[in-house]
Amino acid sequence: MVRKHADWWAAMDCLGASNKNPFAFPSSYSFPPFFTRQPNTSTHHAQLQKWSSLVQAYCRHHRLFKLSLTDSLDSDLFHNKKIGKRLGREDAREVVEFMRKEGRAEWVVDDKGKTRGAGEGGEFWVWWRNVEEWAGLIAEWVDETAQKNTVLTLYELTESEATLSQEFHGMDPELLQKALSVLVKRGKAQVFGQEDQQGVKFF
Amino acid sequence: MSRKGVGLAAFDRSRITSAQYASHGNSLRSSHSTSIATQLSVFRSLLQNFAQTHAKDIRSNPSFRAEFARMCAAIGVDPLASSSGASGKDGGGSFWAQLLGNSVNDFYFELAVRVVEVCGATREENGGLIGVKEVKDRIMSTRMEGGTEITDDDILRAVTTLKPLGSSYSTLTVGHKLYIRSVPKELNVDQSAVLEAAQLLGYVSVSMLMLNLRWPRARAKTAVDDLVSESMLWVDKQCDEWEYWSPGFMLEIQGGGNAG
Repeated sequence: MVRKHADWWAAMDCLGASNKNPFAFPSSYSFPPFFTRQPNTSTHHAQLQKWSSLVQAYCRHHRLFKLSLTDSLDSDLFHNKKIGKRLGREDAREVVEFMRKEGRAEWVVDDKGKTRGAGEGGEFWVWWRNVEEWAGLIAEWVDETAQKNTVLTLYELTESEATLSQEFHGMDPELLQKALSVLVKRGKAQVFGQEDQQGVKFF
Repeated sequence: MSRKGVGLAAFDRSRITSAQYASHGNSLRSSHSTSIATQLSVFRSLLQNFAQTHAKDIRSNPSFRAEFARMCAAIGVDPLASSSGASGKDGGGSFWAQLLGNSVNDFYFELAVRVVEVCGATREENGGLIGVKEVKDRIMSTRMEGGTEITDDDILRAVTTLKPLGSSYSTLTVGHKLYIRSVPKELNVDQSAVLEAAQLLGYVSVSMLMLNLRWPRARAKTAVDDLVSESMLWVDKQCDEWEYWSPGFMLEIQGGGNAG
């Protein structure tokens, strides 16, 4: 079982049954050389691609939006305890970089525009859906449930029972802000209020 | 009175006789050819019927398909005759393609497309050399459940349909295993030996090669390095001695992959 996410599992129990299943790792995960950086360029490229889709699938399954490099190195994502192989820090960084170039990951930056310890083992977003896609999903849901022109709190959007079946349920608040700002830019939503009491109105 | 006429009438008679022979021969020939034509048309319609009624079986049942292919081979018919692919659109197609309602051909052509896709998609990770079984497993894994089953034999037939394209797709045996090669590249004897050795455990190491093949270190190292640079082996450095893994092994260990 996935030890690290025990609490998380409990929280997600109310969700669809599909998420209770342990994540099915791809076969490459049990292939020992998968955890060693391949010296051959084209093999290495194939390896990075496999890692990228693994990280995305893993995050999608566990509904993770943000990962910390340091923590991930010890989690079952980058460490296959069964075969005793793990991905090194540098190699994992390379995977994130590769994903970033693919538009599937991004280092988390703080207010000053500095990457939060990108050098050492910072956090990174995993865009198994990118911001645009998230914005689209939320707008679609609002449309479908006929909640245009009503005011919703941000908390309601991601934590209420009404959105349980939605992929954006339990979404990272920071990411939610990003997604909403896309909608605001398009003139499809308006965000108001202070800090943790923000509301949003969709048009 | 001599029976043999010596008069001019004799010429007439002999002409008449030969004409009669000829006409009799003609009628024999024509009756023969009509009977053959009848037989052929019967056979044709039977085969057509057979192919139509069993088209589904031919497509869905691998052992049935193999039997059908064997039957065609026994009566000297190649259901995949290369001419068939050439003129699909003009309603032409080959005799057999028309006969079999294209279902057999289509099956193999569709399969060939999938084979090309798999080879293309995995070329980076295996250097263009992939086991027939891996190709089959990959194709099967992407099919919907309850989809048609395919066999190694089907894959091999599909690869032969690619020949007319002048493509580089070919089959190759290393050890006891059949591979499809999608990159025109010859393996030398040492490289084949290494790949064969890697079939046993999924990997080899330099000292394993030295021990089992009685190679000097340099020879083992060269063969292995060559294969790594061709993407045909992956290296695992997280062990006492570096292990060189065959990428085809990635699929075989499937199922053990769940962190359970």
